[in-house]
Amino acid sequence: MNAGWAEALPWTIVLPMVGAVLTPAVAARRPRLAGTWAWGVLLVASALASGLVYQLATTGPFSYDVGGWAQPYGIELRFDHFSAWVLPLLLLFVVIVPFSWRYLDHVMPDERRPAFYALLLLNAGGMIGFCVTGDFFNLFVFTEVVSLSSYALVAVGGRGLAAFAALKYLFIGAVSSLLMLFATAQLFALTGSLNMADVAGRLADVGGGPAVMVAFAAYAVSFMVKTAMFPVHVWLPDAHAIAPSPVSAVLSGMVVKIGIIGMLRVYQVFFAADVLELGAFNQTLVWFGAISIVMGAFFAIFQDDIKLMLAYSTISNIGYIVLGLGLASPYAVIGASVHVFNHALIKATLFLAAGAIIHQTGLRTLSDLRGIARRMPQTSAAMAVGAVSIVGLPPTAGFVCKWYIALGAFESGQAPFGFALVFGALFIFIYYVRMLNAFYFQEPVHDVVIEANEAPWSMRAPVIVLATLCLVLGVLGGIPLSFVEPAVLELLPFWGN
Amino acid sequence: MSPSVGVVVSWWPGIAVALPLVGVAVSAATGWSERRRASVLAGLTFGSLLVALGLIREVLAGRMPEVHLLHMTAQLWMVLRVDAAGALYGATVAALGLLALTYAFGYVQPGPRRARFFAFFMACLACTLGVAYAGNLLTFLVFYEAFSVLTYALVVHEQTPAAIAAGTKYIAYILVGGSLVLAGVLLTFFLAGDLAFVGGGFLPVDAPRGQLLTAFWCFVVGFGVKAALVPLHGWVPDAHPAAPAPFSAVLSGVMVAAGAFGIMRVVFDVVGVGLFTSLGVAPWLTAIAAVTILVGALLALGQEDLKRRLAYSTISQMGYLTLAVSLAGSGVMAGGLVHLVHHAFMKGTLFFCAGLWIHVTGARRLGELRGVGARMPLTTAAFTLAALGMIGVPPLSGFVSKWWLGVGMLEIGAGAALAVLLAGALLAAAYLLPVVYAAYFAPTRPGAATGAGAASRAGGATPTGDPASRGAREAPWTMLGPTLAAAALTLAFGLGSHLRGFPLQLAERAVLAWFGGG
Repeated sequence: MNAGWAEALPWTIVLPMVGAVLTPAVAARRPRLAGTWAWGVLLVASALASGLVYQLATTGPFSYDVGGWAQPYGIELRFDHFSAWVLPLLLLFVVIVPFSWRYLDHVMPDERRPAFYALLLLNAGGMIGFCVTGDFFNLFVFTEVVSLSSYALVAVGGRGLAAFAALKYLFIGAVSSLLMLFATAQLFALTGSLNMADVAGRLADVGGGPAVMVAFAAYAVSFMVKTAMFPVHVWLPDAHAIAPSPVSAVLSGMVVKIGIIGMLRVYQVFFAADVLELGAFNQTLVWFGAISIVMGAFFAIFQDDIKLMLAYSTISNIGYIVLGLGLASPYAVIGASVHVFNHALIKATLFLAAGAIIHQTGLRTLSDLRGIARRMPQTSAAMAVGAVSIVGLPPTAGFVCKWYIALGAFESGQAPFGFALVFGALFIFIYYVRMLNAFYFQEPVHDVVIEANEAPWSMRAPVIVLATLCLVLGVLGGIPLSFVEPAVLELLPFWGN
Repeated sequence: MSPSVGVVVSWWPGIAVALPLVGVAVSAATGWSERRRASVLAGLTFGSLLVALGLIREVLAGRMPEVHLLHMTAQLWMVLRVDAAGALYGATVAALGLLALTYAFGYVQPGPRRARFFAFFMACLACTLGVAYAGNLLTFLVFYEAFSVLTYALVVHEQTPAAIAAGTKYIAYILVGGSLVLAGVLLTFFLAGDLAFVGGGFLPVDAPRGQLLTAFWCFVVGFGVKAALVPLHGWVPDAHPAAPAPFSAVLSGVMVAAGAFGIMRVVFDVVGVGLFTSLGVAPWLTAIAAVTILVGALLALGQEDLKRRLAYSTISQMGYLTLAVSLAGSGVMAGGLVHLVHHAFMKGTLFFCAGLWIHVTGARRLGELRGVGARMPLTTAAFTLAALGMIGVPPLSGFVSKWWLGVGMLEIGAGAALAVLLAGALLAAAYLLPVVYAAYFAPTRPGAATGAGAASRAGGATPTGDPASRGAREAPWTMLGPTLAAAALTLAFGLGSHLRGFPLQLAERAVLAWFGGG
């Protein structure tokens, strides 16, 4: 088998990490160089990731043994269909970083820039590692890399409540990480191995029982906290709203998704071992997912701050994904997995557009931003496209996911949840209508808004590119689908019971 | 003899939809003179109308032009396919759209909102054409949702508090309706594994009855919001007075009809006549339609605001179409389709006239119309003609469609429905003739108070006495022309109803596909 691109697998992780470490050195004399450097590193990394995805598409999933050590003992990196997520993830970073160049002017002094971009690269590297690692311990390590850099990125703006929001995020995140470490230890104690494939095999010998159940539950809770599902969402709104907008896009679009990817990884192992009866667990996910959709939308309706509104909207959308996972029918899980990506894209569009508006006007509430569409037509149009996509009007990117998840609800015989999802989307539409109404159809109340100008091109271009993609990926919705489908179908024979 | 229908690949349906979309870009283009922009927009819409008429020819020649727009995923793909009903509705949309567009050039005030109006107007037109030519449920849903949402911008166009409130009400109703339709589409796909329209339906007859019923009612209630079936009609009387007159005409003429058209598609192309009858839902739908016709007309009687009165009239008149669908008889359905077309131009005329009165005299309310007949004879004549048509006076088009509806009802022995039809016509006389009376015969009252809306529309002149009796003249020809053209069509469709290519022939062709030659 031609394993040409498999050699690139470790480099895709190492490159951003090394890039992060080198950033302060590179930008020592000219701090503004840090942004360009980070962009360059991410471009190369995405080129490598494209190669990996190409390899995946031609030969199927492949592994790389770090240092040449054989698998149960050495560290395995595995690139399967869920790992393909690293490519869109890197591409989103590639779009978000140029946006941040000018955006940071108002956020931090120049000399903090190298640190900011180093953290951003570290965050990207951590997420890539998380997606491709083949063993549980490294899953934990990469989670921590992502989490710690995220805490710091929230605080990096350094204004007012940022430190407080970051601290809240850290406390809750640390509990979640502890649970994950505990689960990893428990699995190791039970099976004597940490390699995922190996653990799956040994678990089958261990059989079921409360000890296995505890490990699974600890993982599940830990990941649900990371993904900010409704009752454990409290850390998210402040952190995402206070962080600088490019960071909000990264956090809301991608960092919360490690909870979902992690859940899928754990599923892969536990289902392959076929040791747990998960009907009740799935039912719990379904209910919490549905509640998340409604509660996220409910809180969002009362927000006046646009970024806070978008943050609550993330909770709703995570609800879709969790609901889809819990329904445990092929269509629903496919829809949920695709939404991991589509939501990242849409939410990045929305946060960057909101960021551009905040950057140009210094205002961030709906009541202050009335009539902004007149002065910033392109950014507002992008915002509108994002809103329409996230609500899931056809033929945008959001529609494809909504269609598959709802169809999955019918398929699994839980039709009421299909209806709940369709009408939850309606609920979500209410606050986006409020937003568009304020932007387009109300008279300006602030001089700043009347005199505002369109954002500079380095900010406008990323926003426009992302908004265009929201439409294109609705029209070409089959592409992400084709990557997710085989992985889900492989997973499902063991699912649901 | 059933004509053989052959599907042919053709770009024309796509072009009909795309031309107005080009107009969206033209509207947004800066640096064009108003005159140039207007002629390009009119040209594009006229082109779209020509294509729509060409498609009618194709359909009459026994062909079914089809074009695949895009394949999103294996399940989700969009296709335009023109059948007789679609061709008929599409041509109506394009024709009324062209008239309303021309009218709007004169009506919509210059300013930053003018470009926005035309951009959204063209987009709505394109999407409504898409609804007409949609070849499967997904395509229908996409265009239906799109024009429903885009309409919001046109309803709130004037940005007055009343318009914003009407817009909020509109969007709330429409989104709930749209979600129900989406649920129906999902359920249909789940049950049938397909979404493409088939004359005679494609829902599996042996599917669980509960699920079939759920899907059916999701569709009916969802589309019923748009079609203004009576308990769901709340947005209609608010949205019409708020919107600019040319858009009210389109909204009433073809967009409310899109809801009824959707119900028709669902009953005949998704559920199928056989299953529709055996599900036992037909009597319920008949009852809803009858209530809609009567309640709409009765509520219209009490309205003092002319555009509100016309809006209630639309509710009542669109009930005829749903009534025709629910009776599921070939004759009555042909009459219903013809009524869709005829109603579009009659109601278009009425709204155009109401807009002219507002534009020239500022008169929005019935009491303010005194003496307008003498000042604006052509406008008032057009209104009178369309009003008589709406009531069903021969030889106008409204008479023809009601005749066919009535005959069709007798064919299947639906006497009660016939009674509703006649009562509706009688009530139409009761709510439209007072307008005509006020315009021509009511004595003018010097010194009467004027409405608040009048002052703003009258363009600065301090109104004294009845606004209609001030030195008002006919409106400019950009607005009067389309009004008279629509009125002329009302007459022409009545006189020439049996000609080849006129609505009746197409309607019969459409019915043939649904009822299988019977």
